[in-house]
Amino acid sequence: MPSDLSRLLNALGLIAVDTLLALAFIDQLWFRDLPCPLCILQRAGFTAAGFGLALNLLFGPRPSHYGVTILGASVGAAISMRQTLLHIVPGTGSYGNAIFGLHLYTWAFIAFALMVIGCAVLLLDNRQFARPEPWSSRMNVLPLTAFVVFVVLAVGNVFSTLLICGAGFCPDNPTQYLLFNGTPV
Amino acid sequence: MMSLPFLLFACGLGAAWLRQRGAAMGFWVAGLVVLLVLFRVHMSDVLNIAL
Repeated sequence: MPSDLSRLLNALGLIAVDTLLALAFIDQLWFRDLPCPLCILQRAGFTAAGFGLALNLLFGPRPSHYGVTILGASVGAAISMRQTLLHIVPGTGSYGNAIFGLHLYTWAFIAFALMVIGCAVLLLDNRQFARPEPWSSRMNVLPLTAFVVFVVLAVGNVFSTLLICGAGFCPDNPTQYLLFNGTPV
Repeated sequence: MMSLPFLLFACGLGAAWLRQRGAAMGFWVAGLVVLLVLFRVHMSDVLNIAL
């Protein structure tokens, strides 16, 4: 695989992660569907997984960066699988709105699994690791945009989580922003 | 507390932007450990949903 193709695929992967995190914000702000604690931890899992892709864009592709993505996605998959299993028994209800028949935590598990598979496929070609110099000096618009949006979403989640949960742990079923002194959504 | 993983990952991204790869990896490891601890705390949450 040419190194430029590897760079492009990493940028597209990070844009996909950006899109997922942005959709979570849209669901929270537009549809007023506040995230539960496990939902917030799944967002953190996406951030942990996307971290490796961001490192690939800044420092060039390395197996350790793909390892970062695989480990982050594995933790996220464990969290989303746990939440799916909480609701898998018929009659135990669900959390949040369903999209195309599946709830967000189920979609999250599928996304985490696809990230692990995608990284495994990218790791198959060693030619991308031959490039000695980092790429950041020649970052073009697509990788730079993906990185900046990823940072903005990570920082946005810091403030969003603070607003929902305050300084402590989140309520099991949040219905209001705790930091706004219980302002209903 | 729940925002701590995001804060650590954001610090790691900042360190990566400043070319501090070791620090970035350190922030990422710390964020992942905190994430796992928070998962352990919340994995047995009682469901409080309308059936």
